[in-house]
Amino acid sequence: MQQPDALPTPALVVDTLEAGYEPGLPIVRGACLTVQRGEIVAILGPNGAGKSTLVKAVAGLVPVSSGRSLLFGRDITRVAAHRMVFEGLAFVPQTENVFVNLSIAENLELAAAIVKADRQERLAPVYAMFPDLARQRSLPAGQLSGGQRQMLALARALITRPRLLVLDEPSAGLSPKLVGLVFDKLREVRASGVTVLLVEQNVKAALALADRAAVLVEGRERLFAPAAELLDDERVAALYLGRHTGRQATGALH
Amino acid sequence: MLQILADGLVIGSVISLGAIGLSLTLSIVRFSNFSHGELLGWGSYLALSALAVFTATRESLAAPLGPFSFGWGLLGALLVSTVLTALLALALDQVLFRRLRSQGAITLVIASFGAALALRNLLLFWYGGVPQYYSQNLQIAIPILPRSVWGGLRVTADQLLVLALTLATVTALHLFLRHSTLGRSMRATAINPSLARVAGIDPERVLRATWIIGGILAAVAGVFAGITVQLRPTLGVDLLLPLFAAVILGGIGSVWGAVLGGFIVGLAESASVSIVGAEYRAAAAFAVLILILMVRPTGLFGEKH
Repeated sequence: MQQPDALPTPALVVDTLEAGYEPGLPIVRGACLTVQRGEIVAILGPNGAGKSTLVKAVAGLVPVSSGRSLLFGRDITRVAAHRMVFEGLAFVPQTENVFVNLSIAENLELAAAIVKADRQERLAPVYAMFPDLARQRSLPAGQLSGGQRQMLALARALITRPRLLVLDEPSAGLSPKLVGLVFDKLREVRASGVTVLLVEQNVKAALALADRAAVLVEGRERLFAPAAELLDDERVAALYLGRHTGRQATGALH
Repeated sequence: MLQILADGLVIGSVISLGAIGLSLTLSIVRFSNFSHGELLGWGSYLALSALAVFTATRESLAAPLGPFSFGWGLLGALLVSTVLTALLALALDQVLFRRLRSQGAITLVIASFGAALALRNLLLFWYGGVPQYYSQNLQIAIPILPRSVWGGLRVTADQLLVLALTLATVTALHLFLRHSTLGRSMRATAINPSLARVAGIDPERVLRATWIIGGILAAVAGVFAGITVQLRPTLGVDLLLPLFAAVILGGIGSVWGAVLGGFIVGLAESASVSIVGAEYRAAAAFAVLILILMVRPTGLFGEKH
């Protein structure tokens, strides 16, 4: 894809990335994505398509065998996972995404201390955005419900003031009402100027939230288009079905 | 009765300090380090060597301080030993454990057995097998309570100091883990290493801190064992099983658990000496361990994940 000179450097460029846990067994197979500044991009796709592996590879958690990822023009392909926050990328894992043995306040204070930021200056706006967390700040994170944990995980990531926020299935295990609350927060995050990339299973909710979405199948994006267009695009369902119910898909091919 | 309690607390101090280091290694470096006991042995002898250097340069450093059996020289030697033992723990990691970390916990455990044998025999080679002492001064135990009150109580000033310094050390470590960024990073890494990395915590830095703290506490424990009992190259192997018992008793990864576990094991040992005889003291720790694990399998302070 040719970039006109007038456009600013994209927030993230994933360029024919190949990544996987075992050498020689790539799960992400040449995926390409461009996330523009200030947009929310959702990665959709059937189970096992490599959605989580793709964002984990971008976050430095899964070895990349070829290709590269550029964060605001800087090559971060070989940056260690623990250096990503210093590059401006915050990653929120799908599960076990808060330190359950630390209190809410300790979780957030630690996040601020790691990036050597002023504790009060960083915590105050985040507490203002998450009043529930502020109220229970001395509670151990292990005692929080699933929805509250997701909020704390999001808050912990925001403390580092990322330029790109990457989330792995933030709606996993949450009720539709809570998914709505989490997604509302992500809209607020976008409004504050942070670019968001998320993996989602929940196709409808994700397409309602995202500006653009990619459908990943077998480690490569098959579709990458504005979310509104994908909302009633038959190809999205076909790509999901092609994976899930092989019989129907082969039937259709014949 | 009271005397058993007092003696148990002194033995318990040494076990507690050693057990904290072992527990931190278990929860952060994630393997059972069977060479941890040897760090206590090395700590005690490194202090002996430092003390010899100090007293050779200035005779007055050996003069006993007030009611204690030792002088300023030993306190200085204790500091030197904490630094050297921490370096020894770091060196052991660099030379051995670090290289094997990707091979899994079993490999590390077996390697630590080898390290323990090597470290113990080096001690034996350099210092000999004859028990030694930091001071030749005899210390008279101060009667605190007469024999008529629950069998009476006599303690030495050294023992009281050991107990007080143990509590001070543990409190300092508690504050460090609770409030400092590095301490919180260690707790975060112990519970969730993958999230710790994502959050920006350098895993190597946390591992180094763990070895350093484990080494410092081992040196303090080793010197305390030398002050209250004697120095012997077999200190590490003698303490190894009580250390593990204390860690498991208290719950893996819990500092206060390791401390409480250490004191319980110490008390069980001291009680067994007067009840069933010194030959069975090692069994006492395990009898208590089995009993508590039957009631609470995660240990006293064990966290359920």
